[in-house]
Amino acid sequence: MSLLHATWLRSHTTGRPGLLLWADTWRVATPVTPQTQVPNHPLSLDQDDLGAWLEERDLWSEAFRPTVATLTLPSRSQSAKGKKKIEGAAWSGLPLQAGEPIPKTVEWWPWQLEGLWLEPAAAGAWLGQLPLSGDELGLADELRWWSHLQRWVLSLIARGRYLPQVETSGEGRVARWRPLLNREDDRRRIEDLAARLPQVAVAASGVATPLGLPPVAEIACRRPGSSRLVVVNLLNDLVDAQLRAGFRPDPTGLDPLLAAWQQALGPGTGKLNLSGEDAERLEGATHHWREAVAGRVAPARACLELFTPPEGQDLWDLHFSLQAEADPALRVSAAVVWATTERQLMLGEIEVDQPGEVLLEGLGRALQVFEPVARGLDASAPEAMALTPAEAFVLVRTATTRLRDVGVGVVLPPSLSGGLASRLGLSIEAELPARSRGFSLGETLEWTWELMIGGVTLTLKDLERLAGKRSPLVQHKGAWIELRPGDLRNAEKFCALDPALSLDDALRLTGNEGETLQRLPVHRFTPGPRLQAVLEQYHQQKAPDPLPAPEGFSGQLRPYQERGLGWLAFLHRFDQGACLADDMGLGKTIQLLAFLQHLKAEDELKRPVLLVAPTSVLTNWKREAAGFTPELRVLEHYGPRRAANSAALTKALAGVDLVLTSYGLLQRDIDLLGGADWQGVVIDEAQAIKNPSAKQSQAARELARAAKHSRFRIALTGTPVENRVSELWALMDFLNPKVLGEEEFFRQRYRLPIERYGDMSSLKDLKARVGPFILRRLKTDRSIINDLPEKVELNEWVGLSPEQVKLYRKTVDETLDAIARAPLGQKHGQVLGLLTKLKQICNHPALALKEAGIGEGFGARSAKLQRLDEIVEEVIEAGDRALLFTQFAEWGLLLQSHLQRRFRQEVPFLYGSTSKAERQAMVDRFQEDPRGPQLFLLSLKAGGVGLNLTRASHVFHIDRWWNPAVENQATDRAYRIGQTNRVLVHKFITSGSVEEKIDRMIREKAKLAEDIIGSGEEWLGGLDPGQLRDLVALEET
Amino acid sequence: MTVTPASLTTTLGNEGLGQQPWWVEQWMELINSYRYKKRLERAWTYARSGNVLSIRFEGRRVHARVQGTEEEPYKVKLWLDTLSDEDWGYVLEALGQKARWSAQLLAGIMPADIERAFAASGRRLFPFKLQEVRSECTCPDKANPCKHTSAVYYLMGDRFSEDPFVLFQLRGRSRNQLLANLAEQRRQLLSAKATAPVAPHPPHPAIADPGRWWRYDAPLDPDLVVVTPAMEGDTGLDEAGDLPLAAEPLFPEANRLFLENLRAQGALLGQQAMAQAMGGG
Repeated sequence: MSLLHATWLRSHTTGRPGLLLWADTWRVATPVTPQTQVPNHPLSLDQDDLGAWLEERDLWSEAFRPTVATLTLPSRSQSAKGKKKIEGAAWSGLPLQAGEPIPKTVEWWPWQLEGLWLEPAAAGAWLGQLPLSGDELGLADELRWWSHLQRWVLSLIARGRYLPQVETSGEGRVARWRPLLNREDDRRRIEDLAARLPQVAVAASGVATPLGLPPVAEIACRRPGSSRLVVVNLLNDLVDAQLRAGFRPDPTGLDPLLAAWQQALGPGTGKLNLSGEDAERLEGATHHWREAVAGRVAPARACLELFTPPEGQDLWDLHFSLQAEADPALRVSAAVVWATTERQLMLGEIEVDQPGEVLLEGLGRALQVFEPVARGLDASAPEAMALTPAEAFVLVRTATTRLRDVGVGVVLPPSLSGGLASRLGLSIEAELPARSRGFSLGETLEWTWELMIGGVTLTLKDLERLAGKRSPLVQHKGAWIELRPGDLRNAEKFCALDPALSLDDALRLTGNEGETLQRLPVHRFTPGPRLQAVLEQYHQQKAPDPLPAPEGFSGQLRPYQERGLGWLAFLHRFDQGACLADDMGLGKTIQLLAFLQHLKAEDELKRPVLLVAPTSVLTNWKREAAGFTPELRVLEHYGPRRAANSAALTKALAGVDLVLTSYGLLQRDIDLLGGADWQGVVIDEAQAIKNPSAKQSQAARELARAAKHSRFRIALTGTPVENRVSELWALMDFLNPKVLGEEEFFRQRYRLPIERYGDMSSLKDLKARVGPFILRRLKTDRSIINDLPEKVELNEWVGLSPEQVKLYRKTVDETLDAIARAPLGQKHGQVLGLLTKLKQICNHPALALKEAGIGEGFGARSAKLQRLDEIVEEVIEAGDRALLFTQFAEWGLLLQSHLQRRFRQEVPFLYGSTSKAERQAMVDRFQEDPRGPQLFLLSLKAGGVGLNLTRASHVFHIDRWWNPAVENQATDRAYRIGQTNRVLVHKFITSGSVEEKIDRMIREKAKLAEDIIGSGEEWLGGLDPGQLRDLVALEET
Repeated sequence: MTVTPASLTTTLGNEGLGQQPWWVEQWMELINSYRYKKRLERAWTYARSGNVLSIRFEGRRVHARVQGTEEEPYKVKLWLDTLSDEDWGYVLEALGQKARWSAQLLAGIMPADIERAFAASGRRLFPFKLQEVRSECTCPDKANPCKHTSAVYYLMGDRFSEDPFVLFQLRGRSRNQLLANLAEQRRQLLSAKATAPVAPHPPHPAIADPGRWWRYDAPLDPDLVVVTPAMEGDTGLDEAGDLPLAAEPLFPEANRLFLENLRAQGALLGQQAMAQAMGGG
């Protein structure tokens, strides 16, 4: 798949800068040996393909100009196939692509490619339409960097942080709009964007050449330089272009000098229509004008460090130092700066040119906004000065902000640094009451509290005494603290109230930063050991205490499954809904069944539990429950014979532990089901309720609530729910409605900021809120991976759609009769034909009916395909890769069309008719292309041997083969040396059908001699009519 | 009505603001000390009616063209006595005594007590008397200063505001030269102390980690999530204040009008930027 890139590039005609868009794609390419000319980038799209690609994604702009450019890119050494490497020969290789593994040795080479070029104003508008967060398919990382830069440009323009200037450029003196970057947050942004600059964004060497002209043929590379200056220059260009494009000059009442300047600030090149001396005068004056506001862009700044007075003294020390812009903790004292004889100074790894000048200039600005500094600069090489208490207070209270705004760093003592800690708050100690086990949220804790400010505790009396001093900065217990108006009043209020503290409060206060109690921030919360244990588990700082498999559970729990069970039981004690979101293959079903059996064993399961799942997995649930928890009485509320009224339902529910139903029926029978007395509601594949306004989502949430007795709520899902902001609300509304509040509040507070702008602080807050209720473990987690075998086999039990059932029955009935009448010699062939036909029906009716293509509603006609779609969707979303094996080439072709349409990506299919060259290309692409296909269809016969496809971590066996050895061989394509992931093997079995019986026979090898099965399908012909009927007849499930 | 030069300065300067940079005041005091009031008055009229066509600082001289009674403008040349290298040596040494002087010069501020540094050499930065300002004019008027030269005097004060450091230039060193000399002197004076070793130039991190050619995984800066307008009086134009351009006598409102248009359009462009930010993403 192609990936779009963006690189800054100067135009060859005007020398003005602009944005070049280009794209690369994975294809087989011959390594290139650069000769005398810059080689063509063999993996880039030409401008026609690029244009089509952009148009397809609605990213086309009329302002695009076809261009050829030279980019310096990291490249991989690789000798051309079939040619011997000649000693001393020139380098040969290929440019690297984003996401490709970095080889051990990398060289940098210039590559020439075609692209589309935008002048800066158009580039700004174009960048403004890009997403600000998330991985947009086909857009390289650096486009997000560009979109963040453009958003900063908009912010600078909106805040008016710019000044017009006159500058000398290659074209003589020109008028320019220049951003002012003196403010603290803008300076930090330079550092942030510079430190993370993807070099490809500025990797162009030379200038753009229009398509058709011979390009500049010089082999030269561009070295990465100071990213800080690069970022500032890009900002300069973008801010200038965007202001210029919108600015309307108005020369009314202006003298010729100002009129010409204003004119040149509008649309155009910025060239001044003035004599040399007038232009020079403007340059000098505008420079002086700007100098008063903003200094140079340097990697370091002057810094003032305030120290509290030594014991018993009045005067505060103010030290001068040089501070790295990129890391405020990185400082050197003025003494070191003065002692530097070199023109550079190293601040950590940061090189500062002319450190003395940088420091002095900053101090010069400092004394403009904080006048006492002047006194400290009387010496020739000052290192520190003393401040009176009044001056120190001014610095702490007001001057610090202004100093930072002019680009001077200020470091205050911790207790005065203005953060939350410097405000009056509380220090709390709490513990569970002696007899409590911490199981109910409302219960009151035993607790004591003290007032706290600037890291020291104090009593109300202390506070009154300190306030009496009438000095804003006071010393208490050795720390200097700032008292604010109102502090005393707030403290008195709190003391008078002396509120109770509940477990609920404790959970809240320890969950998020900056939580308050009666409006006072809680600076310190010290829980007793027993409360601590509850809090840690609740906040998932500690793995929940594992619970061993309960009595009556027939099966083994892996260690992480015991922890999952313990976690479900823990939240259940608190009456909190829980979402178990473990990665696919970790056994959510088993953990949930173990939890139900745990309740049963503890004699806590008094009433039935309702489990809602997609129709496609109901069969699976039934099978798994029968296997793992035979003690649970399971009822299916499904099919035409389900209870139709509440009397029938009540009767049916007698003695039942677990009721299975589908989302569709939940919605249809909500009145009936809502009236029953459930002990709990479980939703499987919980993403089904993600859309809050959908009927099935409303039904599920309604069911979770209304009840005589409270119901426990559990959601199961394999998707990373915590990352899907839009889907979280409905889920939490099902689990614990209070946590995220009303839908509209949620939309404004979290969804918009996070989805639109990628706001991390909102996301962090949201995650902290929902975190306690979601447990998600990945196969790759360190704590999990050792518990897992390298190959995990999962049976996917599926049913049949009505169309499949009808067709299956009809085929069996008709064919068995025919076989009974057939002469002996043909029987064998006819039996085989029947089995094949039935397996085809289990896959899809269209396969059995030899339909040529996929029509509307193709997916809904097969229960197996529906389930396959669901699992494949999870695989794709997780960014994993999968091999899908089938024994039917026709099915492969249908499935290929279906999957390509559904998942909008290419799905290669390797089968008998694939040529040898095509096979190799498919395999290479699947293994090598950084953005290659995620799904790979193979026929069992053609793809089962000889290939190495270790990039896949999932293997699907869509239909069963008689011989497990053949399946295993196919599985080994993915699971072999070189595989670093755990491999999940999904085997589809249509329950009640011939597939299940084959599966049973394979597993019950003891009954059928190994050599019978091992020899293929020959034995089938020898079955007597009764055995044959048993094998093929559709069993009621 | 008799217009006294003292009141002229405020009319000429930033109207309504009154507060003049100290060097402009000092310059005006210099002119006011001149005895021939009548001639000054005529010079003022000249200056006000735009007869001074151009003023240019070139090296150590000021060149001006003044439209007199003849068709061809008169050429006026002004200069001060420059300081000798030896004098500059004393000045530099004195300037080096106080870090504040370097600090202010680097930050673009003309120190109010700069004369004290010059006093070390027995010289001055500013001329003490008008007689110290040498001048030549191509007019036939024998009086020195003639009204053409005096007209230039009037405008010089405001021209100093555009870049006060031209005064250094007139005395023989530009600000950049001066700062370079100061830095050099500081290094020499202070190198007696211990020196911090300088590490070799580190290679760019993207060379060690070629993945940095492609990778960017940072979220949007939370402060850019919502693009906000400027706070009242907090734009760059507000902060920078008036243009340090000498007002053109014939266009007394020009500076104000220029800035007003910039402010008005800036507000408009700011709104557009916010609208664009709301729609984007």
